[in-house]
Amino acid sequence: MSVNEALDPKASAQTPEDWQPKILVFACNWCTYAGADLTGLSRLQYPATVRILRVPCSGRVNPQFVIKAFQKGVDAVLVCGCHPGDCHYTTGNYYTRRRFLLMRRLMEYIGLEPERLQARWISAAEAPKFQQVITEVTEQIRALGPNRKLRDVQWQQWNS
Amino acid sequence: MATMEQLTLQLRETAREILESKKAAAVIGWEKGTFWYTTTPVVLTKPEDTERLVWNEYCLNNLAKYLLDFQHSNEKVAIFARGCDSRGINRLIQDKQIDRDKVLIIGLACPGMKDDKKARELGQNADIPLAKKCQECAYPDALVYDLWIGEPKEVAKPVPEAKVFPEVEAIEQMTPDDKYASFAANYEKCLRCYACRNVCPACNCKECIFGNSSKEWSAKANNLSENMFFALTRALHVAGRCIQCGECERICPVNIPIMLLNKKIIQDIDRLFGPYEAGLDPEDKMPLGSFEFTDPEEFM
Repeated sequence: MSVNEALDPKASAQTPEDWQPKILVFACNWCTYAGADLTGLSRLQYPATVRILRVPCSGRVNPQFVIKAFQKGVDAVLVCGCHPGDCHYTTGNYYTRRRFLLMRRLMEYIGLEPERLQARWISAAEAPKFQQVITEVTEQIRALGPNRKLRDVQWQQWNS
Repeated sequence: MATMEQLTLQLRETAREILESKKAAAVIGWEKGTFWYTTTPVVLTKPEDTERLVWNEYCLNNLAKYLLDFQHSNEKVAIFARGCDSRGINRLIQDKQIDRDKVLIIGLACPGMKDDKKARELGQNADIPLAKKCQECAYPDALVYDLWIGEPKEVAKPVPEAKVFPEVEAIEQMTPDDKYASFAANYEKCLRCYACRNVCPACNCKECIFGNSSKEWSAKANNLSENMFFALTRALHVAGRCIQCGECERICPVNIPIMLLNKKIIQDIDRLFGPYEAGLDPEDKMPLGSFEFTDPEEFM
């Protein structure tokens, strides 16, 4: 994809009416995944814009995974784990914190909107927080529109 | 002050002595290149070959990476080192790639090397400016060494200073679309020749994810998306380990300012986790391999 294609205003005019954001959530098995489960069990409604990917620990999320996700066409990535101090593996999320403090800044630096890569601590008991975060992020991404930056040409059909 | 010609003789003498006395099985240094403005790294094993060694204003290559060739040998290797080489050696020691006991480091004080691309343009009689990486160099003299050539000097343990990169700050001021357009314009040119990876002392993985397309991390297709994937992934792989030798940028055949990404990360590590300079001391804690309970919290 050329630069012009990526930033072409005509291309954004083609955003279909029924476009929905596609958000990838990395959820730690011990906190956020259980929190998402509780959200469902509690019948709390949240937008169906998220794809939840379970990881053993938020520390498992390699920056490569995030860039690859943008390549393959997600509009935002959300990395979620246990609150600092609550990690099942004691310290995994402290490494996550350092890594994504840096990575968020780097992605913002190369021109990605900061809303498109976020990280949150959501515990297994925080069903309302999960609902609220997903709603919030979905609204932000809906306002921004589809992401074209970093996207590989072969996955350009965002509404497929 | 000894001139570089005099020092060259001392380099040869030292190398010969080391090889003859079998203090090391090989010596890594520089030899004359094809043109007057080029030198090339050389590995010498015979005492009579030491006449090939040179020390001049175009010894641009960082030698540290060549130590990896001796990673699995039991022999000791001698290497000439300026500030950047010595930081590269520290990098390899800290990454557990080489053993300090198996390296004999011959320290040099570096006057700063000249820009070989400018030299080719301007010719022999012109006033050639210093290479970009040398203009920005904070540690010209070897930080760690066993022998020293040249004026003896006290090297105090350097204290990392807060870093300011005007070129990084200039980009930070731009709008997201402008930022992306400027990076896209740079990385559209990328050939993915991986010269930057091959020359980088921090890129010392035995197996690189970009060396194996069957792992499907990166395809062979040369397009902006894949190129950016490579650039960002590499920047994050060397995050907190980049020794700022600037070799990636110097070696790039299409002149991509690769250090823009590395400098941004270096600057953010400084600001978020406190002053840190990679490659000064192999015993230092790695910024991304450690943490503090008091790290900034943005993810609540």
